[in-house]
This record gives sequence, structure tokens and C-alpha cells, in this order.
Amino acid sequence: MNNLLNIEWLKIRKYPTFWIMAGMFAVLLPLWNYSINTGSMRMGGSGKNGINILDQAYAFNNVWQNLGWWSSIFVVFISVLVIIITTNEYTFKTNRQNVIDGWTRLQVLHAKWIMVLTLAIGTTLYVFITGVFFGMANDSFSNFPGDISGLFYIFVLSLNYYGFALLIAYLFKRSGIAIGIFFLYNMIIESLVRAFVNWRFDFPAGNLMPLQASDELLPFPLMEMAKTLVQTDEKITNTTYVLVSLAWVMVYYFVSRFRLLRSDW
Amino acid sequence: MDSILSINSISKSYGPIQALKNVSFSVPPGSVFGILGPNGSGKTTLLGIILDVLKADAGTYQWLGGVPPEQARRSIGSLLETPNFYHYMSAWDNLQIAASIKQRGMNDRQAALEQTGLWQRKDSKFKTYSLGMKQRLAIASTLLGNPDVLVFDEPTNGLDPAGIAEIRELIIQLNREGKTIIMASHLLDEVEKVCTHVAILKRGDLLLSGKADEVLISEDQIEISAPDIAALHTVVSAMPGIHGIKQINGALQLNCDTHISPAQINEYCIQKGILLSHLTLKKKSLESKFIELTNK
Repeated sequence: MNNLLNIEWLKIRKYPTFWIMAGMFAVLLPLWNYSINTGSMRMGGSGKNGINILDQAYAFNNVWQNLGWWSSIFVVFISVLVIIITTNEYTFKTNRQNVIDGWTRLQVLHAKWIMVLTLAIGTTLYVFITGVFFGMANDSFSNFPGDISGLFYIFVLSLNYYGFALLIAYLFKRSGIAIGIFFLYNMIIESLVRAFVNWRFDFPAGNLMPLQASDELLPFPLMEMAKTLVQTDEKITNTTYVLVSLAWVMVYYFVSRFRLLRSDW
Repeated sequence: MDSILSINSISKSYGPIQALKNVSFSVPPGSVFGILGPNGSGKTTLLGIILDVLKADAGTYQWLGGVPPEQARRSIGSLLETPNFYHYMSAWDNLQIAASIKQRGMNDRQAALEQTGLWQRKDSKFKTYSLGMKQRLAIASTLLGNPDVLVFDEPTNGLDPAGIAEIRELIIQLNREGKTIIMASHLLDEVEKVCTHVAILKRGDLLLSGKADEVLISEDQIEISAPDIAALHTVVSAMPGIHGIKQINGALQLNCDTHISPAQINEYCIQKGILLSHLTLKKKSLESKFIELTNK
């Protein structure tokens, strides 16, 4: 397993796109949050007169949920990176060469899944470090960590997004179409189906769709506060969303496995 | 070990196109085994199957007496169809990946690059390489770990004449060192010069396979001419050992038994009172033999 990860690292360590995409995530996530935290970007309006409703959400108890929510948008950079790295192997026919040189087809698949898992762990660690910085800048360290469940949720969410991106890459093989399908699904198709299902049935089953199941774990910050004010009735618990998200990851794994073991390359 | 590779009844189709039909043969140790056939005859498909990048519909294959296929692939060097490398990486770094997958040390890289004339350009990115250099790098990659068996699919693709000669020399040299080489090609000249064994494919059918000098027996042709061509025709058609005469442009082309020499024909004609104005021995080329076989 270590060897597979090591070889995947050899493949990407000199790939400019890897550094650009990972760098965008690493720079833009803290920069974005910094500008909200300091009030130069306001979530409740624009300009100096806008109300900033989020600048208080960087103290320890809320920082994890808050950063988690923003990270759930920024993980798209890394998802696209997963698609590019995987479809490159088809474009350069290097997946073929890896097999010719002695990997089994399963090793080719597992190498990419280990990379996905590593990227999800890396994302979580990075959000943790960012959270510690923001928390310490806004709060006393004696309140560390506060409600840190958001950090676990960002792990689940990034694993779900990256695994989904990997599956799409394996199904479509070409980076252009795969990235297109990924965005189309994420931004339009899933929203459409979810809205229809939730409108049609009493139970919000649409929330359990592949990416949405994880999105539900990290709602807009302060949403929790709003919910307690209006007394909404949650029908699906976060534990269920975590389990459903992990179940989807298993589905991506087995579909990609079936695909890779059966087809010609 | 009786054979390096044995292929048993392999079939494969792409939709309605049957790319391989029940193909079986085996590759003896120490041979240079040429898989011959025109474009689209199934050569690369067959190599793709034995290297596990394509799935056969039926049939089996066995490497090195039955070791697990991935272990066999690690211990052989293979070049299939095109040079496949990471475009943004140097030759040096690309070979590091290949060597890591093969579980070989990194020390072979320099020797492999020197042997293929790429050492000076080892740090250049793959995408800056010419077609011929890419092909050389693919060959360099097969040499990592000094494998006993090499698989080359059209190894001289994209090479200039000097490069082709170099690779041919390399193949002969590797074979001299005791390595078995399996090579697919449509370049007959290449095959004729290096192969000890051949298998000939045509539209997925195995036409024949075996030792090159047995499979590709080339009958010699003798061409003669005389001022009175009609008289010459009458005389030689009565000569024992001659079983075919064709008149081409004022000369006669004779198909004769292998023991008949030009000198014997000359002597025979003189005895019959005819003086030859032209006498040549023509080796039937592998090319004409190949066209004859694959056009049947």
C-alpha cells in the first residue's frame, strides 16, 4: 500500500497542475475566510454598510462548522485535480503501461483510491490547521477545540467528493467531458432531482443523494442557530448522513472496480 | 521450461469484427519470435491480451511455465504499440516510475539510457522528445532490470534508417546474450534479418508458425535468356528438376528444385546447342512469400 502511494506521488510531484490546483485550495481558503473575518467581504450585504453575519463564526466553537462549510465549496479544486490526474493516465496511456510493467488492474485502481484517501486526509489536516489559526486569532486557546464535529464532516465530505470525481474520471476517461459532467451533476442535476424528490415525498430522501448527503453535514454557518429559532423538525440525523455518505463511497469504489477489471484499456 | 510463453486457443472480437480466431502457439526459450501480419491482422491485440491490457473472449496464456501473470510482467520488458510516458516528466523520472513498478533498483536507468542513445537528454521532458526518441525511451524502459524476455511491438516505429539498424543490432545482441525476444512487425526486412521463429497472422487467423527457416522456405528462381527464346523454352521444359517456366520481358523465369544450380542449367543448355545470353539466380524475397501467404 505504501509502495502504491509512493508511486502515485512520483507521478504527481513534478506535475505543475497538481501544484497549481492544490495551491489554489491552500491559498484561497484562508484568504477567503480572512476577508470575511476582517469584514472586507461581507456576507449580509455589500460595501461598508453591509452587515457581516459571519465575522463572529471564527471563535473556537463555530470555526469548524464555518470553515467546513467554505471548504465544502473549495474541495471542488481538488476534485477537478483528481479527475485530471486520473484521465491523464488514459490520455498518456500510462495506466496501460503500469499494467504492462507489472501492476495488476486492481493495484492500478487501489493506487488511485489510496491517493483519494490521502487527499481527503490532507484536506482535513489543512482545514484543522487553518481552523486553529482563525480560532486563536479570534478566541482564547482555552476554548480549543469546541465542537469539532465539523472537521470530521469535512473528511467525510472530501472523501465523498474525491471518490465521486474518481468514479466520473473512470467512467468518462477524457478530462473535458469528465469535468463537465462533474460540474453539471454537482450544480444542476443533483439539485433538480433533490428538489423534485423532496417536493414529491414527505420524507426528504433527496438529501441522501451522493454529494448532497455530505453537503447536509455542513450547512451554511449559523444555520444551526436559525434552526433552533424556528424549531424545524430534522428528519435525518447527521449520523445517517455520515453513514449514507460512506455507503456512497463504497458504491463508487465497487462501480469503478467493476469497470476497471472488466473492460479493455 | 519448455516454453517462455504458450498461447492456447485465444479468441477476441470487437463487436462484429473478429480480431483473433482460436490462435495457439508457443515461444521457445532463446528464440527471436516474430509475429508477422499485415496491418489489422491482430498482432497488437494478441500482445495486448498476453500483457493483460485487453481481455480475451476465450482461451488462455501462460508465461514462464505458469508464474502469476503480474509477476511475469514485472520480470519481462514490454513495449506495446506506443511509447507511454508522463509527458510532463523527464526520461529519468519516467524510468523511475517504471523501475518502481517492476520492483527493480534504480541503478539500471543509466545503462538503459546509454544503450539507447538518450543519456545526454535524460533530463529533458518527454513531451520535448521526437517520435524516434520516444520510441528509444520505450525500448530503454524495457531494458530495466536486465530482463530475460522482451516483448517488442513494432520496435522500429518512427526511427530513422540509422536508428532502425541500431535497434536491429540491439535485438541481435540481446538474443546473443540468451534473451528471448517476442516481436510483432509488419516490416519483413526487419523480421527476416533477426527472427529465428515466426507466426503469421491474417485477419485474426494464425496461418502458420514455427522455425523461420522451415516456415519461410524460400524457393530460388533462376532467370535465363537466349537469342531464340522459343527454342530455349522447349529445351529447358524438358530438363529434369524444373517445374515451372514463366516468360517475362524476353527472359524465362524457372522454378526449380533446390539442388539445381545455375551452372547445371548452363551446362544442360550448351549440351542442347543453346548459348545463354543471360543467367541470374534470384532469391525469392520474404516479401513476395509473405504476400503470397497472406493473399491466399
